[in-house]
Parts: sequence; structure tokens; C-alpha cells
Amino acid sequence: MIKKYQSAVSLLLFVAPAFICYLVFLLIPTYGGMYYSLTDWNGLNRTYSFVGLGNFVEALRDDRYFTDSIWFTLKYVLFMVVLQNAFALLFAVFIESRKRLKTFFRTIFFMPNMISVIISAFMWTFVFSQVLPQLAVKTGLTFLDQSWIGDPKYSFFSILAVSLWNGVGYMMIIYMAGLQGVPEQVKEAAMIDGATPLQTFFKVTLPMITHAITICLFMTLNSAFKVFEVVYGLTGGGPGRSTQVMALNIYEEAFSNNFRYGYASAKAIILFLMVLIITVIQVNVLKKREVEA
Amino acid sequence: MKKSSLVVASLLLLMSVLLAACGGSNANNGNSSSSSPQGGGEGVKAREVTLKLFIPQPRLKDEYDAFIQKFVEKEKAEKNIDVKIQLEMPNADNAPQILKTRLASNDAPDVFTVHAINEIPTFYKAGYLEDLSDQPFVDKLLDSVKESVTIDGKVVGVPMETLMWGYLYNKKIFADLGLTPPTTISEMKQTIEILKQNNITPFLLTYKEAWMPQLFVPLTVGALAHSENEDFIDRMYQDNGSFSEMKGIFEIIDLVNANGTDRAMEIGPDEGSAQFAQGKAAMWVNGPWHAETILSADENFEIGVAPLPINDNPEATMINLSTSTTFVVSPESKNKDVALDFINFILDDEVTNEFYQSLKFNPVAKNHTFESYPWVNEAAEYVKAGKAYQDPSIPQAVKDESGKVLQAYYTGQATQDDIIASLDKAWKDFNKINK
Repeated sequence: MIKKYQSAVSLLLFVAPAFICYLVFLLIPTYGGMYYSLTDWNGLNRTYSFVGLGNFVEALRDDRYFTDSIWFTLKYVLFMVVLQNAFALLFAVFIESRKRLKTFFRTIFFMPNMISVIISAFMWTFVFSQVLPQLAVKTGLTFLDQSWIGDPKYSFFSILAVSLWNGVGYMMIIYMAGLQGVPEQVKEAAMIDGATPLQTFFKVTLPMITHAITICLFMTLNSAFKVFEVVYGLTGGGPGRSTQVMALNIYEEAFSNNFRYGYASAKAIILFLMVLIITVIQVNVLKKREVEA
Repeated sequence: MKKSSLVVASLLLLMSVLLAACGGSNANNGNSSSSSPQGGGEGVKAREVTLKLFIPQPRLKDEYDAFIQKFVEKEKAEKNIDVKIQLEMPNADNAPQILKTRLASNDAPDVFTVHAINEIPTFYKAGYLEDLSDQPFVDKLLDSVKESVTIDGKVVGVPMETLMWGYLYNKKIFADLGLTPPTTISEMKQTIEILKQNNITPFLLTYKEAWMPQLFVPLTVGALAHSENEDFIDRMYQDNGSFSEMKGIFEIIDLVNANGTDRAMEIGPDEGSAQFAQGKAAMWVNGPWHAETILSADENFEIGVAPLPINDNPEATMINLSTSTTFVVSPESKNKDVALDFINFILDDEVTNEFYQSLKFNPVAKNHTFESYPWVNEAAEYVKAGKAYQDPSIPQAVKDESGKVLQAYYTGQATQDDIIASLDKAWKDFNKINK
């Protein structure tokens, strides 16, 4: 009895420092945000009043810019989830099938991930606005001479390109680990039974890495919804509001315009709920399809 | 026994780490607020005061340090007060956040800076500005500048940075082609023609950052309101007006957009300064706040400042007078007398000329006799001739919205009616939220 109590206490004590940090820097501010979302505080006044769910109603019904940013973010999430996972899986399969130069390819595909997102955004701003036009002039490839970040038609793809460049490496590593966990015997058995490489991949390998797919889909979904630095560094949400994602809309609502902290907190809660619901659905659906070796 | 002593030891270690982290920051605060006892005073012990200053202009740190040094010496000599200065100089990007956090948590600095036109109304409404109307410095202020730091009939700050602006022009290009700044929009069209015939792009467009196209709004609305529609701003604050009364502003905006440089959405003001210095365009709708950047690209560049014509009425072509950085005092200050001494010292006859000159700010008071930059003198000529108006007090939210919507207007995603509708809505929202 006493031993059980002692081990429980010692476990708690070891977790305590991390838990205290988590509590102070994540949980308490989150609850603070939830409280402020029910008020109309503007970050400066000494007093504020309680408005209940008024902020939430206003955000979804009256705020045209917020609903536009929701649609734009959803479009971005769709493209990102599909493309990031497809490219990551492609690269992982490519690297796994190499006999030589495995480490070399792994390194160069992972390197972009090591650069902080905001730095790469500024770097790519330079490439898009200075390097590509010069390249177009020198090589005659005129399709390169577009306003990649100034023209609303192309800025979406520029943002997508930079995000993919930065994020694919991380998912690729996870997929590689998943692929390495597929036992050789199963693949050989399939080959002996007369399966083509493509059939082997889709009917044998893919089901066996479903747990990696679940994790990667969850992570890409999560980070795609919360995208901020790439858009902030590349276009600033512009021109006008054509590339404004939800996080940027919330940031501007709180820290410029009318400084409506309470209202922006409500919008942030809406974003949180959206991500929560979609992620829960996605994880549950895929968990059922996981196959043990 | 072994297990529990291991647990206790690790617990002590973790606690000490946490306490060291918290205690370290406390100790720092403690050290800076405790002043060292002065051995100079004979008999009368010096009063020790800590003055908290918040000045988000890190590029001017050396100049402020020199001024503070003089202030500390003066206080010691005249009033036997040992002033310990706690100076915070965050970057201008984070400063509003930091300041608001400090104010909201009752940790206000004794003396801090705000932007006169944009921030005095909100800060005053929230009760964070001390009334300074009876201070000695007030009488020294120039009338046009005093107006910009007065609200509700009370003077609430000492103006530091003032601006006189319209648009910038390349004096050399103008001189070579025998041009003078146009006084009406028809003359502007002629100027543009001459520039185009000589293969010079008339206007530099730098719309990457939304606050650049936003500059059109105070320039055009201010001039139009001052010349034709005096109570426009007041009526807008009472939900009794509309930007459709200001349709005239689009003429000059369209003219500038149609005769400007390419790829406007990809060039920001920093790069624009370099391009302007290289002579890539003859005119730039911007104020002189980028003067240093332009001069660092080409130190022999001659910057000209001229008022922006709005229409064919030469009376509407005026210079915009505005005040930005202003020193204010917190009403919660525990050392209000020293804080008031500090702000009065800014305009003290003996130090103020050297101080303002070292900061490269414009003259704001009657006892300012120093020479300013050539473009400041040029703008001052217009002001002396009465061709100037106070920067209209448009809410920051409306200005932010106008920047974004003018970007969309340039790329063809918004029409003039869209602009009028969204600016009206932004102002109505502002009124609703801040009633």
C-alpha cells in the first residue's frame, strides 16, 4: 500500500516541473483567452463588460473578412494536407529504395525543415521578387516573370510552395520510419504471389504504414490550420486581404484595427474548435483502418 | 529509505532551480531600484527616486542617454534628489503591446511616449494621460503644434516628432527639366507629361506594406476637408457623414497609380528609398521619415517636399502638419513631481535646442532656434504662407482598413464604391466600439 503511494508521489514530483510550465504558460493563458472571449475588452481600458456569446455570433454572422479567411484557410489546408503527404511519401519511398546515397538525399530533403519558417519566408520573398524576374530576363523563360507575391492569382501558390518546401522534410522522416517497419517477408511473399511493385505498394506497404499516415495527416492538418509565419513574411495577408488566413485575421483584430482583444479571443476559440473537431474525426476514422503486422 | 532520499534530493534540486529562475528576476528588479547612498550630502540626506521611462526609439538611445544624464545632474544640483532612471527602449514594433500590458497591469511607466494623432484619444479615454495644462512648458509651444497635443481643452503631452509632409520629389530631376512643384492637378498632369517625354517614371509606388497606400487618406481627406468640408471629420465621429462626400480624392490616386513604377506590390518603403535615391522615379507620395534611408543610399541626394494637389483648386494644395512621438505622464506615477520636472526639462531653454537638434527633430517651441534640414525649411515656407492643415484625426482602424482596401484597389480587386463602403463601415464600427 505504502509503496504504491510512494511511487505515485514520486511520479507526480518528476512530472511537476514540466506540468507547472505547461499549466502556467499554456493552460492558464488558454482559460484566460476563453474568459476574455466572453467580454468586449480592448486591451487598454481598465474596465470591460461581459457580452456572453455576442462575440461568437458576430464573428460568424457579421464579419465578412473572417468568413473569407475561413474559406481561404480551408482551401490552403486541403492543398497542404494532400500535397505535403504525397510529396513526403514519394520522397520517403524514393530514399528507401536507394542502395547508395541514402544519407545524402535524406539530408538535402530534410535541410529546408531546419530553417525557421519566418526566415525562409523572407528568403523566398527575395527569390520571388528579385531572383525569378532576373532569371526570366536572362534565360528567356518569360513565365517566370510574374508578380508571384503581388498578384492575388499567384500568391496562393507561392505561399503553398514555401510551406511545402519547409514542411515536407519532417513528414518524410516519419514516413521513412514507418516504411522501415514493414517486414521484408511480407513484401517478398507478395512478389512471389505475382504482385507488381505498384500493387505491392498499395495493397501491402500502405496498409502497414497506416499508423504513420494517421500521425502525419494529423500533424499536417493541425499546422496547416494554424499557418501564420509564411503568410506574414511573404505577403502580409495582401494585397488587400486576398491571402489573409484565419490566424492573421485574428492577429490583426487583436493588435491593430480597433484592438478588440475580447473579439479576437472569440475568433481564436472558433479556430481551436474547428481544428479540434476535424482532427478528432480524422484520427478516429484512420485508427480503425490501422493494421498490425 | 534509499528511494525516499532520492525523491527528496531530486525534489530539492527541482525547487531550487525554479526558485533561482524566479528569484533571479526579482533580484534584478531589486538591484535597479535600490540606489547607492551618496556620500556627498552634508547633513541633508538626498531623496532617492526611481523614474521609469518608456521610450520606444532604440535608434536614438545615445541622444536620450545624454539628455537623461543632464537631467540627473540638474535634479541633484537643484533639488538634492538622486534620480535613478529605469529606461526601457523596446523596438517600435512591439512597443504598443508592451506598453498596453504594463498599463493594464497597473505597472505604468512614469513617463512614456504615444503617437499624438493616433493614440492620444484612446489613451485619454482610458484615463492614462495626466493633464499638463498648467505646466511651464505649455506656453513655450508653437500654436500649431500645441493644437495636436490638446484634447478636451487640456494639454496632455510634450510633442517631440512633428512632421510637415505632402510628397517627396527629386530636386535634381526637377531642376534639370525646369520643373516646379505643381499647384493644381492640371499642372500635375503637365508635369507628368514632361517627365514621361524624358523617359522618367513620374511616381514611385511602394505598396507592399499596407501603411504606404494608406498615406493617401490623411493627405487627400485632410486637404479636401480643410478646403471644402470643414466638419467632415466631426460628423463622421457622430455617424453623420460618408466617404462618398470625398469622391474627389480618387482623381489624384488614379493619376499616381497610372503613372507609377511596376511591381508596386513587391516593393516596400526600405527598398523604395534606395530606388528613389537612384532616381528611378521623380516623385514619391511619402513623408520625410525615410530621409535618412534615402540619404544613406546617396548622400548627395536633394530631397524636396511639396504639397499634393487634389483638384484644380490651388487652395486645396496644402502641407499636412502632424505630430507623432509625444511624451506623456502617467497619472498613477508615484514620483509625479520628478516626472513633471523631466518633461519640463525637455523644453528647458538651455538644453532644448541641442537636444532636439541631436535627435534630428523639427522645432516645436518658441525657444527653438536651430537650423533644420533643407526639406523641412521648404515645407515650413508653405506653412508660413498658411498653406497647411492639421493632420485629420482619423481613427487608426479606418487608416488600417484604408491601407488594405487601397492595395486591393491598385490590383483591381476593389472599386471606388467598395472603398467608400468599407471605410464608412470601419468608421461606424469604430464609433460603435468606442462610444
